[in-house]
Amino acid sequence: MINNAQYCLILSLVLIAAFVCAISGAKANCFPGDTLSIASEPDYPPYCIIDEKGHADGFSVELFKASADAVGFEVDVKIGIWKKIMNDLAEGRIDALPLVGRTPEREKLFDFTMPYLSLHGAVFVRKGTAGINSLEDLYGKEILVMKDDNAEEFVRREQLTDKITTTNTFEEAFRTLSSGEYDAVVTQRVMGLNLLEELDITNIEALNFQVPGFRQDFCFAVQKGDTLLLERLNEGLSVVIANDIYKELRSKWFGPDAGKQKSLKEVISIVLLILIPILIILILSWIISLRQQVKNRTKSLNKEVEERKKVIDALKISEETYRNLFQNAQVGLFRTRISDGQILESNEQLAKMFGYPGRKEIIADYKTSENYVDPGTREEMLQQIKTKGFVQNFEARFYRKDRSIFWASYSARINHEQGWIEGVVEDITDRKEAEIELRGLKVNLEKEVVARTIELNEKVQKLDKSQKAMLYMVEDLNRITAELKEERRKLQASNQELEAFTYSVSHDLRAPLRAINGFSKFLLDDYAERLDDEGKRFIDTIRRNASKMDQLISDLLNLSRVSRSEMRLSDVDMKSAAFEVFDDIAGVQEKKEFEFVVGDLPHAKCDPTLIRQVWGNLIDNALKYSAHAKIKKIEILARQKKEEITWCVKDRGAGFDSRYIDKLFGIFQRLHKEEEYPGTGVGLAIVQRIIHRHGGSVHASGEIGKGAEFCFTLPRSHND
Amino acid sequence: MEKTDQVEILIVEDNPDDAEMALRALKKNKLANNILVVDDGEKALDFIFARGDYKERSSKNRPKIILLDLKLPKVSGLEVLKELKANKKTRIIPVIVLTSSKEESDIVESYELGVNSYIVKPVDFDKFVDSVNDLGLYWLLLNQQPSV
Repeated sequence: MINNAQYCLILSLVLIAAFVCAISGAKANCFPGDTLSIASEPDYPPYCIIDEKGHADGFSVELFKASADAVGFEVDVKIGIWKKIMNDLAEGRIDALPLVGRTPEREKLFDFTMPYLSLHGAVFVRKGTAGINSLEDLYGKEILVMKDDNAEEFVRREQLTDKITTTNTFEEAFRTLSSGEYDAVVTQRVMGLNLLEELDITNIEALNFQVPGFRQDFCFAVQKGDTLLLERLNEGLSVVIANDIYKELRSKWFGPDAGKQKSLKEVISIVLLILIPILIILILSWIISLRQQVKNRTKSLNKEVEERKKVIDALKISEETYRNLFQNAQVGLFRTRISDGQILESNEQLAKMFGYPGRKEIIADYKTSENYVDPGTREEMLQQIKTKGFVQNFEARFYRKDRSIFWASYSARINHEQGWIEGVVEDITDRKEAEIELRGLKVNLEKEVVARTIELNEKVQKLDKSQKAMLYMVEDLNRITAELKEERRKLQASNQELEAFTYSVSHDLRAPLRAINGFSKFLLDDYAERLDDEGKRFIDTIRRNASKMDQLISDLLNLSRVSRSEMRLSDVDMKSAAFEVFDDIAGVQEKKEFEFVVGDLPHAKCDPTLIRQVWGNLIDNALKYSAHAKIKKIEILARQKKEEITWCVKDRGAGFDSRYIDKLFGIFQRLHKEEEYPGTGVGLAIVQRIIHRHGGSVHASGEIGKGAEFCFTLPRSHND
Repeated sequence: MEKTDQVEILIVEDNPDDAEMALRALKKNKLANNILVVDDGEKALDFIFARGDYKERSSKNRPKIILLDLKLPKVSGLEVLKELKANKKTRIIPVIVLTSSKEESDIVESYELGVNSYIVKPVDFDKFVDSVNDLGLYWLLLNQQPSV
């Protein structure tokens, strides 16, 4: 009854289910054990029936229960007529139906599991009927079908015959056929056979050929859209099919297929076909899962090993660091017994500090209790450390192994349980000595500071006094400066007045003289014939005096200019200057007559214009006063001393009476008559004034009739 | 006095005696024609630039020479000199400063302002005549002005 195609279908379903199981592992049992509410028809043997106790039973009901159980559901089965229970499911009053033929109309109302049963149609005839061996043979025969059954749909669709009669039930159809009327009934094979047995009709048999196209797939149905339940039921169904419950139920309800009994070989091959792939898949899944687990576990173990290794390395480094720190520390590290100060642990630095070659030697040999230079300090330390638990920067003196003494500073804490003290110690001898020295220096410094402060205070007082004195001086200076400024201003003002005066003199005083002289001349020119000789002599006298006055004014202005003019000092070649001046002022006759001798004259630092005037006046005088002399010789020479230089002009002329030497350089002073030697008596005054302005001096010597020597001296500072 | 347009020699002199002596000296040198004497600096400038009392005359006719005293009322001789030498048209006129002083500051300043010659009025009239003679010959006979 179940053909090979069905087996293949079932097999594939089972494989899918097995695969799902393998993938999801224990997942299938994880769902809540809900109770599913379903409903069954009372009379659709052998699928849905009622047992003797009135409970629902049948192949479909049992299959549903088994499938639900496989995925962890309880099932509560109600009983009702088909139409009602179909409505109940459609409207959600129940969860599922165990037996629903899948048709396009119903697919709109429900969702279906995979079909667990396909029922095929069969052609039923009265026994002994001949001539019907295929569907084609039915043509022309009278066929009975139940109204609205899919059998009717089928025969009309396939147009198996033109004589179709419908009945209300298949019972009616079979009874009619059994009574000898009509030729055949078309319905489902299993249901038909069961019904015939029930009705105890024996003269009807099912023809033994297939009815292609008339097949109905039966499934579990759930409410439209209840995909979750649908999946669970599909899964359960697959499990049940796979683990042979399906087969057992089939045997129970349909009995062994007589005539369709499979051979042992076939059974084994089917079993192998089913089981081997399942087994393979399961084993594969298990292997994969196992490998994954091993991989994960290996990974985590490796990680753990690595981490532990890291921790061990870190610990090693840490330990080494601490060991190095301890042994190479530049401070001493120690542990001593409280009771007697016995050294229990030490680093190399500590040993060195206490005068031992190494830590081994100091341990158990040195007791601090015996080596405090001032035993009181140990007592003090012990008291502190017992009350506070620690001491910090405690300073004490210790004996080294060789009884030399050093200063130590240590910090330590007590360990009461172990009865020891441990800590760090530093040799501070240098620091202590420096401190003591510093203290001494500080005392000295303080004394020094006091002494210096006193000294400074005295100086400050003196300075105060000096400052006051200075202030008075500055005040005086300011006052004097102001006075000087005022004087200077006055001087400038009077200088300006003098300028104006001399200007006025030079212009205004001359104009009348010009007029006197000029108009006297006009008188002589225009009225000469009316004047006698005496008149002409008077006019000449007027003119001569006017000219003389002009000369006096010129000389006065000259003298004034010498005083007022600005001095510009430069290096003057005195020898050249003397020659040039002589050349300028000596007339042609004089140059012939006179012997002009110039010695070696040093240069002078002076105003060139003014010094030429000096030379001019002196040489002019020499010429003038030698006019009547026998020896006409002028000598110019210089005499050098350490501090000064003297230049002289010497002549062999008229000379002068040395008694009147004081008057020589006075203004308008003359020692000779003007008729003898003309002049105004200003020349030497100008010489003196110029030389005085240069910081020098003038002097003269002479003898009447023998000549004179006029000299001027300039200080060397002027000439350097 | 000649017509102002024909003036050849302008004498600027406030002292009438000095002016007369100058005229006489010029006359002695046969230079008496076309001479004008003004007695202050302002009049001198008015004449030269044809303004004030002299606005009727043509400024194109410039004197051939100016004898200028330094000590003058109103506008001093140095100021007159400065103005003349600052003007493009008048700075070519030869100016001879006549003064009674040999004061250096006057001489230096006059030369700085561009004076052409300088003589000190001597007390001795004969020397004055000689000086005028020299100057007159030099400037009026030997030296021809460029015509502007």
